[in-house]
Formats: sequence, C-alpha cells, structure tokens
Amino acid sequence: MVLEATMICIDNSEWMRNGDYPPSRFQAQADAVNLICGAKTQSNPENTVGVLTMAGKGVRVLVTPTSDLGKILACMHGLELGGETNLTAGIQVAQLALKHRQNKKQQQRIIVFVGSPLKYEKKVLEAIGRKLKKNSVALDIVDFGESDDGKPEKLEALLAAVNNNDSSHIVHVPPGPNALSDVLISTPIFTGDGDGGSGFAAAAAAAAAGGMTGFDFGVDPNIDPELALALRVSMEEERARQEAAAKKAAEEAAKQEKGGNQASSSHDATMAEQDSGSALPAEDKRVNLMQDDDDALLEQALALSMNDAKSGNVAIVDADMSDSATADQDLAFALQLSVQDSAKDLSTQSEMSEVLEDQSFVSSILSSLPGVDPNDPSVKDLLASLQGQSEQKKKEDKPESESDK
Amino acid sequence: MASVASSAIQRGQVDLVDFVDWSSVECLNQSSTHSLANALKQGYRDDDGLHLASDADEQLLIYIPFMQVVKLHSVAIKGPEEEGPRTVKLFSNKEHMGFSNVNDYPPSDSVVLSSENLKGKPVILKYVKFQNVRSLTIFIEDNQGGNDISIVQKIALFGTTVDTTNMKDLKKIEEH
Repeated sequence: MVLEATMICIDNSEWMRNGDYPPSRFQAQADAVNLICGAKTQSNPENTVGVLTMAGKGVRVLVTPTSDLGKILACMHGLELGGETNLTAGIQVAQLALKHRQNKKQQQRIIVFVGSPLKYEKKVLEAIGRKLKKNSVALDIVDFGESDDGKPEKLEALLAAVNNNDSSHIVHVPPGPNALSDVLISTPIFTGDGDGGSGFAAAAAAAAAGGMTGFDFGVDPNIDPELALALRVSMEEERARQEAAAKKAAEEAAKQEKGGNQASSSHDATMAEQDSGSALPAEDKRVNLMQDDDDALLEQALALSMNDAKSGNVAIVDADMSDSATADQDLAFALQLSVQDSAKDLSTQSEMSEVLEDQSFVSSILSSLPGVDPNDPSVKDLLASLQGQSEQKKKEDKPESESDK
Repeated sequence: MASVASSAIQRGQVDLVDFVDWSSVECLNQSSTHSLANALKQGYRDDDGLHLASDADEQLLIYIPFMQVVKLHSVAIKGPEEEGPRTVKLFSNKEHMGFSNVNDYPPSDSVVLSSENLKGKPVILKYVKFQNVRSLTIFIEDNQGGNDISIVQKIALFGTTVDTTNMKDLKKIEEH
C-alpha cells in the first residue's frame, strides 16, 4: 500500500530478439511490464507508473508516470528493437522523470530490466547507486538475458550501493520454459515489501498456466484448491507422458498413427478454420486461453490428448469433455494442440479417434460450434472418411490385442 | 553552562520548533538509523547520544515546512568537532529541492560554521531575507573535517511569527 511512483526501464536492444525466454526476450519483458503496472496500480490506486526504453536511438520516455493503465499498455505496442542499451543514461533519465512527478509525496522507484551485456565498470555502477540512494530512489533490478562474466556481480554491487533498508531488490532469471513474468510474480518486486500486491500476485499466479513459482503451482492451495489439483494432475500426466514418449519406439507408433493423425488433423483444421477463419487468430486465442479461468478444463483436455497411461483418467476426462461441450472453442484448440504436439502415443490417439468416431458426440460438438453446419457436405465427407479410417484402425487394433493375449 | 546561556533565546525571538509541520518534514541522504528527528525534535535534540548522520556522502538536504508564516532570525547548529557541518546554505520557500538543483538558485543565506557555532552559539542570519518564510531548506554542503559522513546533534531555529490576527484583540465595532 505504499504510495509510489515507478519508472520502468525496458531493454529494447538487439539482444532482445533471442527466444530463450518464451516467446522472445522482448515479449517476455513486455508481459512482465504489463503485470507490474497492474500490480502497482492495484496495490494503491494513487500509484503511478511510467515507462522508458533504454536502447534504440537513445533513451526515450514512452510515458511519464501515470495511473492510467491503458496508456501504458498502448505505448508498449509497436516498439522496435535495435541498438545498444545505455544503462546509465536510462537510470538517470528515469530519476529525472521521477523528480518531476506530480505528487511529491510518492516514494520514488525505478525498475530496470537488464538483458544485454553490461559494458560498465563496477565503480560506475556503484556511483550511480549512491546517487540514487542519496536522492532516496529505490531500485529493482531484473537480471535476465545475456549472462556474461561479471554481470551478476556488477548488478549485486549496484544493488548494495543503492539499497536502503531493503527497499531495493534484484532478481536473476535464468533462461527456461517458464515465462519471465511468472518468475517475477513471486519476487519482492511484485509483492512489494511484504504487504500489498500479494492479493494481485496470487491471482495472477493462479491464472498463469503452469506457473512454477513459490508454492508448487503458484498460490494454489490457498486460493483455488480445485485448480491446484487439476494443475498437479496435469503436471504428473505430462511427466508420465514424457517418460513414455522416451521409451516407445517412434516408428511403430508413427505408422499406425499417420492415418489417424491425418484424419483428425484435417478434421480439426476444418473445425478450427470454420471457427476462426484463419490459423493466426487461433494462435492468439490459444495464448489468451492460457490465462483463462477455463484453465482447469484446458489442462485436462491437454492431459487427455498427451498421454493416458492411467486408465482411470479416461472416465473423468470423457465426462469433462462432454461437460466442456459448452467450452467448445477450448476443446477444438486443445485437440488441435494435442495433434500437433502429440508424441505418437498409440493408446491416446486411438482413444481420441474413438471419441471422435462417436458420430453423435461429434455432431453435437459441431452443431454447438458457431459457424459450423453439421449438414455441410464437406463436414459430412470428413466424418465419413474419419469413420472409415478408424474402422480400419480398429481392425488393426483387434489383431494387435489378440496377439497381446 | 555558559554555552547554554549564550544560546539563550534572544530578545523577542521564539524557538520555532513549535511551528514546524512535522508531517511534511523531509531529509535527503540521511542515515536510516540516525534520522532528522534526532536533531530537530524537542527532547531528542538535547540528547547527546542521538544525532543526525548522513548516508551515502557528506551532504544533507533538510526540508522544514512551517505551519504558518514565520520570520527567521537565527539558527543554532550543534555538532561534533570533526564531523559537524561547515558550509551551510539556507533556502527560503523553495519546495522539494534535490541535490541536483541546490546550485541552481542562490541561497537566501550561506553560513560557514565555526567551532564556536558547533558548540551551540547561534548564527544570526540576514533577517531581511527571511521575512516571509513558509518553508526552510537547509543544505549542508560539507563538514569540518572533510569526512565522508556529517553528523548534526541539534538544529534550533529562532525567530518570530508573522503577526496574525489575534482574535482576542478584535473589538466589536461600535454602532453609530
């Protein structure tokens, strides 16, 4: 609840094109910025946040400290990458912007994202830190991206010079599958100094799919035990799937699956196309869905398609699938995802094609989808061909199971 | 004690500590353990164990707003021999100054403290410059010994309040 004016310094240098932080370093930064702005304004409505870029042609203030989230989100669009980061100038300009804040009662804070290699000496950084401390400006450092030798130590020295009563923090984020924003959520940069913002942080953590920060899966058990359970189940199944995929011979699965794959993928493609008109919005929607409250269902749908070594889950998932007839968009995209990502798992595919075979079920899905007409001849043809293919596969399956016996 | 007698309030002057607006008092570059209240607040400032110390370097910027307009006559700054302040600049009615713009404005008055001053002898200021003071900014530029940290044990401000209407003196206008 501290009344604060924050300036966020973004690194938009060439090093941000790298994709080691999904989807790209710059995009991860942008997401983190959005989350930070939300957290700050939520913890105290009078807080203001401003943004500036440190690379490109030079340090440029995109928006001066404001409490208007829309302005901040808007200015993050259309940012171009290029050039080299000028860290010292960036921090100095941020300090100046804070000095001219409208409400002088606000505490001053700078959050800087350091993704490019540091070309400054420790002494220079320490001098900057002292100057910030002298003017009672707190500094949060997010160390990610390039990690050349000495960068963490230099940044730690900067933090030590600036730090006054633990009001400044540093976070080192190694590259990995976890999104930058997810990692930051559990850090004091988000949660403030103990109090405040933790409610928002907890909600954000629960919403972000697969957030592995702090608690096992975000702040699950406190807020949403069902979601916690769903996430845990899906993570276990994912792990089992990966083990199974590593073991199973690819060719055997691939041959048998190619038929099923093509049928279901074209089927899904049609569904997807008729849903959204093109693949691109589908991708965007998928990204948006990840932050949806239907996450539990989505995770389960994904789990179903990825692996089903545990037979017990089938019943649950089937029930869920019929439940989610209302959330059909999710199902369509989940199916599409699963098909694209699937590791040629025999049992999974056959189960899924069985599900798809079920004429009544499929047509019920199709009829509830907007823009899809089950009586459309092309859809009917697809269904027929799908059924034909799965009948073939059934015959293959039968002799297989007989040989197993 | 002789020093106390010499710093006794001059005729007509009042100790302005009662008129300080404590909610808006600020001090830049103070050490978190040794804060401004140790030097300014009644009770704390006379305790020799408590003092105000600077943090990152030897400069200090103290902003003292008043609850009403005052005239500032003199100021007494007490500090140790070595780390006590030397060059002190005073700015009247300049809000929210920072270290970057202390040199942008000419100070209302500038004082170099001697060791006598550091024992408590008040420094008489250019009274004409401090006739209408709503807030006072004290910039301690360096200290006696050139140390990294400046230490101030007491800051006392003397002056008078600008005549405000004393309601008791208002007399009813006689009706003709």
